[in-house]
Amino acid sequence: MNWAWADSDALLIVIRTIHFAATAVTAGALIFRAVVADPAARHAGWTSASRAPSARRVASIGLAIAVPSGVVWVLLVTMRMSGLSLRDALSADGLGTVIGETQFGQASAVRLLCALTLAVCLVFDRIALLRWGALVAALGLVAGLAWTGHAGSTPDPLGEVHLAADILHLGAASAWIGGLFLLAGLLVTGRRQPAPAWSAYQLDVIRRFSILGMVSVATLMLSGLVSSWLLVGSWRGLVVTDYGLLLSVKLVLFAVMLAFAVINRLWWTPRLASAAQGQAGLTAARRLTRNTMIELALGLMVFAIVGALGIQHPAIHLAQ
Amino acid sequence: MLRSFLFAFIALLGLASEVQAHAMLDRAEPRVGNTVATAPREVTLWFTQKLEAAFSSITVTNAAGERVDSGKTRVSGSQMSVTIRAGGPGTYRVNWRVLSVDTHTTEGNFTFQVGQ
Repeated sequence: MNWAWADSDALLIVIRTIHFAATAVTAGALIFRAVVADPAARHAGWTSASRAPSARRVASIGLAIAVPSGVVWVLLVTMRMSGLSLRDALSADGLGTVIGETQFGQASAVRLLCALTLAVCLVFDRIALLRWGALVAALGLVAGLAWTGHAGSTPDPLGEVHLAADILHLGAASAWIGGLFLLAGLLVTGRRQPAPAWSAYQLDVIRRFSILGMVSVATLMLSGLVSSWLLVGSWRGLVVTDYGLLLSVKLVLFAVMLAFAVINRLWWTPRLASAAQGQAGLTAARRLTRNTMIELALGLMVFAIVGALGIQHPAIHLAQ
Repeated sequence: MLRSFLFAFIALLGLASEVQAHAMLDRAEPRVGNTVATAPREVTLWFTQKLEAAFSSITVTNAAGERVDSGKTRVSGSQMSVTIRAGGPGTYRVNWRVLSVDTHTTEGNFTFQVGQ
């Protein structure tokens, strides 16, 4: 049988994109629950944010996509590393060597353990300790990605710096994109919840998410600068290499996302606050929902870029 | 407009998928293409990224095309080396194949001269 498809970069990019996005949404949903939805629900006097879109459900669906896409990713990489067929790649010589003797394989094994732990914690989500356990496992799942890519291969003495920057970048991106997912759900749900108590809760959630968003954006910018310095190194690298070109598109998408976030924060949120009820409030809620959906779509495009960037050679080695 | 944007976006990713990433040889000892007075006891290569020992190797052949390396490549971080048998003057060819830690495989070769 012809295994040329395993060498297809396009297939690898698609699988990586799906896996990165699903992992980020999984972790981000639980970050959103821990620092936005649950505190807002407690502030409203509810025992939990049970009336809001379920972070547990979103995280479960994300995990259900992240695990199989992660397994396919590991298999594809094993076939490409070893040059073996699918059947042989599943043997001790293939998968056994990759998992036992490569950093990618070991990181993937640890991430699989995090995914299994997360699945158990989500099943027993009513136990408070396991809710925190789910958050820790989800953060491990997303942070583990740092050891599978360029950040994990930077030679010392900057290797640890690059890994730390990448972990922060992954965490912040997850918090933003996962939060947007739940925020969009909350805003859609809000249209069917006209009670004043819900409006106050919704507004509180938006304000808390704004703070989380600002922290995420600042973290993304700082960690992104460090990674760019290590992987691109110069303006020339940004414009003359495929890696630099892709990174430029990512930065443009990020800037547009940021613009929508700023418009939401400075324009529509104050209008929603001053006119929660009535037509003006409805218009503000609709615009917030639409802008959030656009942000989310742009965020998913960013993940497609990340999926492609990972198989490119860093610009810093090509532009010198 | 949205359709044009999506088309351009997909085309850009298509461009990205045509280019396979690869680790790059940073430097070597003996140096690439150089002449040394006596045959070295080992060949050492340095790469731009950390390497995986399980899928990285060096072979060295003499002017007659015979292998003169020990067959046991040692990998440490981004550095890879192999011991070679003492040999006479002539052109030696170094073939290398590496897997960087970020899972990209590449290969290459170069020559160095002994005593000429």
